[in-house]
Amino acid sequence: MYRQARLLGVLLILQFVAMVGIGVWLFSSIDWDTVVNLSNEPGQVKLHTNDKDTLKAFKRAILFTVYFLAPVILLFLSGLGFVLLRRRGWMLASVAQALTMLACLFFYGASRPWFAYPIIAYCILMILFLNSRSVRAVVHRKRALAGAGSEVAHGE
Amino acid sequence: MANEAGMDPGRAEALLRRFEPVIRFTKGEWFYPMDCEPYVDACGLWVTRPGEDAVCVVPPGELTLEKLAQQPDDTTGAVHYLKIPTPEQDEKQGRRARRRAKRSHTNPDWPKESFRAGRGRLARVGYISRLADALFSLVLLARGRVPGGDVEGGRVLYGQFMEKEEHFRYHGHVVRQDGWIVLRYWLFYAFNDWRTNFFGANNHEADWEKVFVYLSESESGELNPEWVAYAAHEETGDDLRRRWDDPELEKIGEHPVAYVCAGSHATRYSRGEYLTELAFPLPRAFAAVRRTARRFWYTTLRQYADEDYAEKAYEAFTIPFVDYGRGDGLSVGPGQDREWDPPRLMNPLPSWASGYRGLWGLYTRDPFEGEDAPAGPMYNRDKTISREWFDPVGWAGLDKVPTRAEELAVVARRRAEIEERRDLLLSEITEKSDRLKALGMDAEATRDQSHLSKIYETETQHIEELSNEVEAMREELSEDEVLDESLRDHAERLRNGERPPARAHIMHAARPVSEQETHAGRVAQLWASVSVAVVLVTLILIVVYQRQHLLSALVFAIVMFAFIEAGFRRRLARFIVSVNVALAIVGALVLLKFFYWQIIALAVIGVGTYILWENLREFGR
Repeated sequence: MYRQARLLGVLLILQFVAMVGIGVWLFSSIDWDTVVNLSNEPGQVKLHTNDKDTLKAFKRAILFTVYFLAPVILLFLSGLGFVLLRRRGWMLASVAQALTMLACLFFYGASRPWFAYPIIAYCILMILFLNSRSVRAVVHRKRALAGAGSEVAHGE
Repeated sequence: MANEAGMDPGRAEALLRRFEPVIRFTKGEWFYPMDCEPYVDACGLWVTRPGEDAVCVVPPGELTLEKLAQQPDDTTGAVHYLKIPTPEQDEKQGRRARRRAKRSHTNPDWPKESFRAGRGRLARVGYISRLADALFSLVLLARGRVPGGDVEGGRVLYGQFMEKEEHFRYHGHVVRQDGWIVLRYWLFYAFNDWRTNFFGANNHEADWEKVFVYLSESESGELNPEWVAYAAHEETGDDLRRRWDDPELEKIGEHPVAYVCAGSHATRYSRGEYLTELAFPLPRAFAAVRRTARRFWYTTLRQYADEDYAEKAYEAFTIPFVDYGRGDGLSVGPGQDREWDPPRLMNPLPSWASGYRGLWGLYTRDPFEGEDAPAGPMYNRDKTISREWFDPVGWAGLDKVPTRAEELAVVARRRAEIEERRDLLLSEITEKSDRLKALGMDAEATRDQSHLSKIYETETQHIEELSNEVEAMREELSEDEVLDESLRDHAERLRNGERPPARAHIMHAARPVSEQETHAGRVAQLWASVSVAVVLVTLILIVVYQRQHLLSALVFAIVMFAFIEAGFRRRLARFIVSVNVALAIVGALVLLKFFYWQIIALAVIGVGTYILWENLREFGR
């Protein structure tokens, strides 16, 4: 019965890993040699670059982090929830997919990066999977049982 | 048709008193069932004709029940109506009366409870209904309405009546129809102040409500109560009545207990708060789109189909109002806070009931009629005779239900009918089967003979027709046999004293709102009260200050408001699903736009792979 839940957890972790990977790649593709720290204060960073491409890549990496940080954390937590706690985390996973999709659509409107498309495709599949009957049967089982109980009470 | 045969006043009164209801009111109720005579004596009679100003026909103080009955039929479209004199009409008398009414409210012998609304009705519905509610209040100004001052007038007048002679009285009428004896308790209230004092849908002068008790008469002449029907707004039919042994029907001895809702005076079986919805039909095209979308979502995609798809009619747009039938106020009836006074008997039918077809209070010309006073017990507002008057049995859906005394006889008659039809069918089937066999022989004899081919074709056609006919008759016979068998079993159960479930006839019973719903947080109530204004102001601010990001800002605001609302109404999961599906559709459109051919190719490859896999699996077996 919990196979579906574990599979869902694995898919969520996979999504988490892929998105962290994209983030790491975005930061690693910045040419850090052209970036200088203008701040002399210890512990304070004030970056500057004259290279337009680097600036663009930097902005993109920062935007990616801003847009996807919250959903990535939710993906990780919900993935762990499904893998370890079996059926907890459906709401977190759904919210994570919604936030990821929204971020992708905002990103798509602004700069149309290539990685928006696979993320959108993956999100669509995950939304379908999260709302499939088999998954809902597992994650909403507790609620369904509670509902059945109250029906009996009405009948009495 | 209901009639008064064999119902002399003495017997009628005795029956009425024996089963008279116990009525429980809600704290804060201002108006109680009263005799209609002092009300009529105090009112003025007015008439309004099409295109003319209203004219006072009989001034206040000169009208009597006898005079009321003598009103001649007027021109087409003329409306006669009574009007409570407002305190302004006689300022001095009004002020004095108000002072008297005030004094009487401090009298310990007078109910002085005050009303406290429960959870706001608006917290139970969404933004659209709240917006519609606000529009509904605005439209009231244009519709014509009973002014707040008139409620005060009604209160003063009622205070005067009660000070003069405190009485709690119903109007009783006993009739026979289709084997039933129907006890009709007509309750007259001087005013319906639901909107002004209880956040309801309407106000109107005068209110006629009713409680019917249905008795059956055994062969020995013994009378047994079997059903009751309480009126609530415009409801009719099966859902309205309860069987005497229904656990929902509370009784004190032989007296059914009714809970009257504050202000509206709708009568309920159980104490509680009822959500009454005012329905407005949606435009046809919009309703069709909504229906299709919902069918696709619930039936095709099977999304949350078990929750509420079948429960609600989505052809109409509804505004909710709460009927407070708490039963925590004054109780009127045998052995209660107040006893009933002797009823005003309507056997034989008094002339004021049959002769006056006009309204019993102010005519506001409201196109929805909610603010217009009702007509008397016998009539509708359009002067036609009301169904509950000429057909009290059908009004409560009892026209298909025999009395207990008749049940076995009805079953026996029905079985005899079926038996007769079966005999007829059997003889017809035998005759036609013989004919069919003969035709079969004819066909066999003429088959494969070229010179007889025409006869063969005709015979074959006859065989087919006759065969279908016999098949239909056999089917009918078989259904009759099953029906006869179930009637026999049913008769057996009835003989053993068994009865069908008391609530089997009820399809959509009005139920009080659950405790869980009633006790929502104050923040949710506050949000429900301010949300429409906040949403409208936010949308205006976005349109004015965020024109360059109009679409994004609007989408963001709408999603945020929907999220908050879903949270308060404990529908977060469903909301997230809806948002996800909407986002998935948008995302799919984006992908389709850029990767149309690739997606088509992938789909074809996918289908091809699946077919290959299935075929190989079959091959491998």
